[in-house]
Amino acid sequence: MSEKEDKVPRRFFLEVFGKVAVVVALFAEAFGALKAFIPQVLYEPPSKFKIGKPDDFPEGITFLPEHKLYIFRSGRGFHVVSAICTHLKCVTDWNSSQREFYCSCHGSVFSENGANAEGPAPRPLSWHPLSFAPDGNFVVDTGKKVERYYKFTI
Amino acid sequence: MKERLLLLWRNLTWTWAPDSNRQASEAVVKNFWLHWFPSRISLRGLGWGFSFWLGTISACLFVILALTGLLLLFVYIPSIRDAYWSMKDIDNVVVFGWLLRSQHRWAAQLMVAVVFFHLVRVFFTAAYRDQRVWNWYIGIALFVLTIFLSFSGYVLPWDQLAYWALTIATGIAAELPFFGEDIRFALLGGNILGQSSLIRFFVLHNFFLPALVVILFALHMWRIRKDGGLACMDRLIHETKSKKIPVSPTKTYSLLGVTEGTTIQAATTEILDESNSVRTSPNLTRRIALVLLVTTIATLVLALAFPVGLEEPANPAVTPIPAKAPWYFLWLQELTAITTIKIGGKSISGGLIGGIIIPGILGLLAVVWPFLDRSPKEAIGVWFHKTRNTQNIVFTIICLAVISLIIIGVYMRGPYWKFYWPWQSWPEMPTLF
Repeated sequence: MSEKEDKVPRRFFLEVFGKVAVVVALFAEAFGALKAFIPQVLYEPPSKFKIGKPDDFPEGITFLPEHKLYIFRSGRGFHVVSAICTHLKCVTDWNSSQREFYCSCHGSVFSENGANAEGPAPRPLSWHPLSFAPDGNFVVDTGKKVERYYKFTI
Repeated sequence: MKERLLLLWRNLTWTWAPDSNRQASEAVVKNFWLHWFPSRISLRGLGWGFSFWLGTISACLFVILALTGLLLLFVYIPSIRDAYWSMKDIDNVVVFGWLLRSQHRWAAQLMVAVVFFHLVRVFFTAAYRDQRVWNWYIGIALFVLTIFLSFSGYVLPWDQLAYWALTIATGIAAELPFFGEDIRFALLGGNILGQSSLIRFFVLHNFFLPALVVILFALHMWRIRKDGGLACMDRLIHETKSKKIPVSPTKTYSLLGVTEGTTIQAATTEILDESNSVRTSPNLTRRIALVLLVTTIATLVLALAFPVGLEEPANPAVTPIPAKAPWYFLWLQELTAITTIKIGGKSISGGLIGGIIIPGILGLLAVVWPFLDRSPKEAIGVWFHKTRNTQNIVFTIICLAVISLIIIGVYMRGPYWKFYWPWQSWPEMPTLF
C-alpha cells in the first residue's frame, strides 16, 4: 500500500472520531450535570410509620392530618384510606352528614369506600395495608396499596 | 470651570437634543444604550394607535419587576421555616416593604395581561407573517416564560396559596404519560413539597427564568430591526414603493456588502424621509421614557390602592376551601376540573386533558398558524384586514373562551368548586386553623 492511499482514510477517521468524541463528551457532561437535579437522599418522613394503638381510634372515622389518612374502625375491623385526592393531590374532607369525601380543589366527591363518585377524580382513593409493630402500635405502609374492602381484624 | 461643566453636561445629554440630522443619527449609532434603535423611526410605528405600545409596556413592567425583585431579594429568606415570616417582615417591618411587594405583585399580574394583549395585537395586525414568524415564536416563548415567572413567584411566600398551587401544578405535571412522576420528582426535589422544592423555584424565579427572558428579549428586539420594524412598515413600503426610484440591485445597505441585493432593512431605510419619519433621538426615546413613567405610576397607584395580602402559612394537612389559583391560571384550573372523561371503564384525568393536552394544542396552534394563514401580503400591518375575517373570528373565539373560563373561575366557583352565581352567597365553611 502506498503512503498516499493510506493518508486520506486516516485523516478522515481521526476527523470523524474527534467530532463524535466531542459530541459524546458534551452529552456525558450534560447528563452528569442534569443528574444533580435528581435527589439521591430524601429527608422526608418514611412511607411506613406507626399511627398508634387500636384503642386510640374510636368507632367510625378518624382523620390523621399529619399523615393525610383516614382510619376507619368498625368493631374489631380497621382499614386505612388515603385523604389525597386522585385528581391533583389536594386533601379531601370527610362530610359526616353526607357520608362522603369532598375535595376542595376541584370538587371531586368520593363515597365512603373511596370510590370516585362525582367530579374530575379519575380513580378511587387509595387503600393502604395495616400491620402490627411488636410494641402493639398499628403500622401503615403508604407505599403499598390494597384492594378495596381489605380489613385488618384484631 | 463653568465651560467644562457645560461641556460635560452637553456630552451627557447630546443624545437628547441633537442639532443636526447627522448628530441625531450619531446619537443613536454611537451610543451603547441606543444602538439597537434605528436612527429614524416611521411616524406610523411611533403612533399610539397601531401597536398601543404593548411590547414597550411589557418591557417596562419587566424592568420594574427586576428592580423591585432585586430589593426584595435582600429581605426574603428562601427557607420553608422562615420564608413566610420574612414575608410578614416585608409587609410589616421593612420600611416601605409592603409597597415594594405590592408593586412587584401588581406589575407581575399586569405583565401577564399586557403580554397577552400584545400577542392579540400581533395576531389582529397579521404581524407574525413571513420573516416575522421567528419573532412570533420568540414572543410565544416570552409569553410562556412570563407565566412560568409569575407561577414560580407566587410559590416563594410559602403560604397556603403557594403550597396548594404548587401541589396542583406538580400534580398536573405528574399526569404526563410515562415521565410524569419523574418530572414531578425532579421539580419538587422529592416526593413531597419541602425545602428542596422551595429552593428550586427560588433559583428558577430569580435567575434561570429572568436570564432566559433577557436573552430572548434581546433577540426579540434584534429581530424587529432585521424584519424591518413594526409590521406597519410593510404597508408603508408597499404604498411608497411605486413612487420611489427603485434601489440599485447591486447596492446593499447592510452586512457591509457581504450579501447581494437588498434586504428588508435596506428597503426600510430607503423609504424613510422627512415626510413619513422622525429622528429616533429624541422622539422615540422620549416616548419610551414616557411609557416607563406611566407604567411605573400605574403599578405604584395600584400597589398603594390595593396592597396585596398573604394567606395563612402553608399547612400541608389542610387544603383551603376553595383553593383557587391566581386569576390568570383559573382557566386551566377550570379546565382540569371539567375535562375528566370516562371511556369504557377507564377514566382519563382532567389533569392530563385540561392541564396538558388542551394547553398543548393551543401552543401547537400558535406554532403552525403562520403556515395555515393564507391571507394576502396586503393584510400585514393592518388592523382587522377584511381578508382575515374568518381567522380573526376563530382567534377571538379561542381568546373569549379562555377569558370566560377565567371569569367563571374567579366569580362563579365557590367551596368544593361548586357553581354559584356572583350574587349568590357561599355556605359557611368550617375553618380548621
